[in-house]
Amino acid sequence: MTAIGSEIYSLNVNGRELPVRDSWIGESLLFVLRERLGLPGAKGACEQGECGSCTVIIDDKAVCSCLVLAASAQGAAIRTVEGLGPDGRLSDVQQSFLDAGGVQCGFCTPGFIVAVHHLLDGNPDPSDLEIKEALSGNICRCTGYGRILDAVKQVAVSRRSGSRGDSKEGAR
Amino acid sequence: MSVALPTSVDEVVDLLVRNPSATLLAGGTDLMVEVNLHGRRPTDVVALNRVAELRTWSVDSSRRTVTIGSGVPYAEMETGELARLLPALAEAARTVGSPQIRAAGTLGGNLGTCSPAGDGLPVLAALEASIDVVGPNGSRQVHFADFMVGVKRNSLRPSEFVRSVTFPLNDGWQGYAKVGTRNAMVIATASVCLVRTNDHVAVALGAVGPTIIRANGAEAWLAANHRMSSPPSNDTLAEFGRLVREASRPIDDHRSTAAYRRHAVGVLAQRLLTRSYS
Amino acid sequence: MSLVGAKVLRKEDPRLLSGTGTYVDDLSPAQCAFASFVTSAEAHATIDAIDVRAALAIPGVLAVYTAADFTDYPDLPGGLPTLERPALARNTVRFVGEPVAVVVAEDRYIAADAVAAVTVSYSPLKVMTTIEDATAGDSVPLFPRHGSNVITIVPTMDDLEKELAKCHGRASLHIVNQRCAAVPIEPMAVLADWKPDGLTVWATFQAPHHLRNYLATWLDIPQMNCRVVAPDVGGGFGSKIVWYPELFIAPVISKLLRRPVKFAQTRTEAMMQMAHGRDQVHDIEVGYEKDGTIKALRLIVSQNLGAYGDPTGLGLAVLTTWMAAGAYRIPKVSTSFRTVVTNTTPVAAYRGAGRPEAAYSIERIVDQVARQTGLDPAVVRQRNFIPPSAFPYETHNEAVVYDSADFPAALAECLRIVDYDAVRAEQKARRNDPSKPLLGIGLSCWLEIAGFGPNGSLEGFGHLASWESAQVRIQPDGSAIVYSGSSPHGQGHETMLSQIASDELGISFDRIKVITGDTAAVLQGIGTMGSRGAPTAGSAVKVASSRVLTRAKRIAAHLLEAAEEDLEVVDDAFNVKGSPGKKVSWGDVAWASFQPLRIPPELQAGSLEERLFQESPNFSYPSGAYACVVEIDRETGDVTIRDMVLVDDCGTVINPLLAEGQVHGGVAQGIAQALYEGVSYDSSTGQPVTANLLDYLVPSAADLPDYKVGRTTTLCPNNPLGAKGIGESGSVGAPPAVINAIVDALSEFGVDHIDMPATPEKIWKAMKSGGNS
Repeated sequence: MTAIGSEIYSLNVNGRELPVRDSWIGESLLFVLRERLGLPGAKGACEQGECGSCTVIIDDKAVCSCLVLAASAQGAAIRTVEGLGPDGRLSDVQQSFLDAGGVQCGFCTPGFIVAVHHLLDGNPDPSDLEIKEALSGNICRCTGYGRILDAVKQVAVSRRSGSRGDSKEGAR
Repeated sequence: MSVALPTSVDEVVDLLVRNPSATLLAGGTDLMVEVNLHGRRPTDVVALNRVAELRTWSVDSSRRTVTIGSGVPYAEMETGELARLLPALAEAARTVGSPQIRAAGTLGGNLGTCSPAGDGLPVLAALEASIDVVGPNGSRQVHFADFMVGVKRNSLRPSEFVRSVTFPLNDGWQGYAKVGTRNAMVIATASVCLVRTNDHVAVALGAVGPTIIRANGAEAWLAANHRMSSPPSNDTLAEFGRLVREASRPIDDHRSTAAYRRHAVGVLAQRLLTRSYS
Repeated sequence: MSLVGAKVLRKEDPRLLSGTGTYVDDLSPAQCAFASFVTSAEAHATIDAIDVRAALAIPGVLAVYTAADFTDYPDLPGGLPTLERPALARNTVRFVGEPVAVVVAEDRYIAADAVAAVTVSYSPLKVMTTIEDATAGDSVPLFPRHGSNVITIVPTMDDLEKELAKCHGRASLHIVNQRCAAVPIEPMAVLADWKPDGLTVWATFQAPHHLRNYLATWLDIPQMNCRVVAPDVGGGFGSKIVWYPELFIAPVISKLLRRPVKFAQTRTEAMMQMAHGRDQVHDIEVGYEKDGTIKALRLIVSQNLGAYGDPTGLGLAVLTTWMAAGAYRIPKVSTSFRTVVTNTTPVAAYRGAGRPEAAYSIERIVDQVARQTGLDPAVVRQRNFIPPSAFPYETHNEAVVYDSADFPAALAECLRIVDYDAVRAEQKARRNDPSKPLLGIGLSCWLEIAGFGPNGSLEGFGHLASWESAQVRIQPDGSAIVYSGSSPHGQGHETMLSQIASDELGISFDRIKVITGDTAAVLQGIGTMGSRGAPTAGSAVKVASSRVLTRAKRIAAHLLEAAEEDLEVVDDAFNVKGSPGKKVSWGDVAWASFQPLRIPPELQAGSLEERLFQESPNFSYPSGAYACVVEIDRETGDVTIRDMVLVDDCGTVINPLLAEGQVHGGVAQGIAQALYEGVSYDSSTGQPVTANLLDYLVPSAADLPDYKVGRTTTLCPNNPLGAKGIGESGSVGAPPAVINAIVDALSEFGVDHIDMPATPEKIWKAMKSGGNS
């Protein structure tokens, strides 16, 4: 059992063990990622799990980082949007959003990218309804979702046909 | 403030005995909202996410029950073996919040908060689940009907917490339905769980009263007036719906009026009963 | 090959996709303090006392300020004298969420604790959240100096009673266009850094120069020392053009504390503090002949302004009354309006701003004429359309001259795509089959006013002017930088303006960079609103680029010893037509342009640069025909959109990817207004009940239909691009299509109208009562 006061703890983010310093122990994972660890990709937009802009993957589950107590995520494998693209390039999901026109203002985009990676890693051939349901926790105010859904379908098809190299394995 | 990360149920009990005012953190979907938006600053938090025992479920084939740890996230109930064993719970789980919320949210959290609109709760009521409560004096089994005692009130005593929920398995039909203003991420304006066995129909209503309501009158009337082996006639459905509506005790709020909630539980119950024969 | 019109992928996406875009809250300069506001818990009250001692005692709290600390600064303009808004509430609070005090702390958790520790005592005043309450006999004025809660009244000269009475029939509707929130996913955020040599403010804003212009005045510093930057902006939809108090207070705090100061709203704060939109009540009446032709139209508008008169909020009803007759040739049109303050969040622009309200009412009443005459709604529209030959078309208001349109063609295309006759036949069959859901089809042949605008138009909303600026600057290597005064918040300006510049200059798309949103870099600017990006900023870039090319050709001709008229620009090079291989690259021309010895004597070094303020002779008028097919659960009232057909005419399409994206997004917001969204208040206390995303129902992917998109094109004759703008089209066109479909589905219950949002509950009630909800 671990008990923490206000001392340093560390989080495993995108495969690296990062110390969290000078923090209040009640901080959300979203806040710690953005303000303590210099990873501003996850965005804060509702702080109650209703918008999905802060979505990250923790131990293979896509969750809202605003609802995760950062200190409780020690020892877990955390993946953020910054850790999806291979070697600083765009992942296949990111490229597909670009190709399909799935981005407008971009503020919700990192949350969508993480959620789509998570969806396709677990379900390589989702139906239209499954895509809509899997993304129903991510709110986009700009696109009306049409292009985003196109992007997901396109990347699913290209992954199944193996036409791109940077699929799940490459992104890890 | 401190955060404790216990790994066993005993450790949780110890922590709660030493500090009865400590705050339990399950999926975070309620507590962290309070921290983020409502200035809640718990002094001592006991995070349950590392207690492996709370995150497992098991089947007892001799007693014909399924026991689900209070820390199992809703996402695990949506598909697979658990969904096959408890289809109504799976249907309810699929309507909880968003996929991200379901990956984090748990039955234990739902029971801790005890909102009448909590999506899993009508299933517990209709299936007459029993709740395994652990505390300084060991554990005790609490029938769901005795657990939820009011709006956001439960019968947990100081230093107690929910270890698991045990559902009886039956060969009958079970289903869950809910209405809300949009498809996803919606708080139920009305929800119903219906369980039909050879000789009985159990109906539990959510979001239409201070606690989850069992439509006892409707259940008894069906048992007395309806041959369970055949689908209900239109007249039977109408009376059943009427009695379900009568059992509800909804209120007006900004999400819905009492009148619509009452109407909606009737429709949902009728549809579930019809579906149970299809 | 021309890039204008081509599907070109967005330049801005790689950074946004990888989480490396820069939004205001992503900036964290060293020593940055965090501000948080104590906001009014009362909708209308006088402030008796503010006790900040407990807050100041919290470790990490740097300061707490109240109105008493801002006496050196003027109030913010309220659209009209006597309606000014104090930066922090002074004496009186007028809506829940109004900033009362500001706390500054080392981080936002401490700031939140300090906000909770500030005690404000109030003496409540009468709360009025609706136009009805604010104009009732027992109402009290929000602004005693103004005397009445009715702020402006524009009466009609003629109520058309005579014309209406002469008609074969009359149709009327009382229509509530409910209050909506823009809900950009990025809430309001500002970072201010006051340094001895000047102030820099990063703000999530649609019009950084517009903010700079007034901020400098307010702070009493020269504009040269006031730099405003709008970095990546996470959506706006009109809500980020408002001079919010927070934007003004942050710089002052930075000055006082000598540290950078950041403020970023929570969603709940955003729902209470960012301006809302719509909130109009209409009484619309038309007189029609037996064949469905409409002879007279009367529209009476009441606008709820919220607690303060925003300059744009005051103008919304003007735009509504201008566009009252929509796509129809109606001989007599009479409009009037009044604007009223209430104890609610101020109302200003929200996507469409005044035009969705107009389109909704005219499209609803046309359907009502169809209902009363027994004619098909498509036929009534066809019989009343302004014919294509009648453009430019002078409307009932001299400021409004429709530029071009072909309404019959758009409707025909829409009916074809939706397979109108088949849906009508299916609907007829459904009537006799209660086991199936109700089916309804709704049309919307809408028209809006965009491309803001001709000289004088935006000035009326508090802006410096109505032009837009462009600066095109060729670098010595032949790459180009394009500066635009219109800074985007999702529209894709970097891509759109690069396409236009590339076509004009003959420089490849990848060698053009677009810079926006920084008053220190962009010469001047107006901003991005009113669907003006393509028509004004795009046209500015086109004209500026062509002027640069003209001079570049002179240099190229000089270098090639050829005639200018014999040159053509292909693949980043100037070629002599008919002389293969005789060419000079854009890079060589650019390099030479800076070398006085290599350019024609009449040119000066550095001539390959153009700055331009593009004025518009008129607005533009995008239009379209939309169709919506709905199914309604007969028992629960639940609506499913089965089909959504969108035929848009925005003139020249610069990039179909971007244009259709704008349509999708606008339509999603329009569907959301029709089915899900609405800001509401407890009318007795004025407390907002929809101040988060759990109660304010922004639709997710699971709630929206697939879109079928079509297009017709009539060029805008009033700008060099022929573009009309498309940012707001969807939010104008979609609500009437959806509601017309629902009312159509409910026609067998005798339902003539249902107010938005058409929730399952409202529809259930309408089915039950057989009348209006």
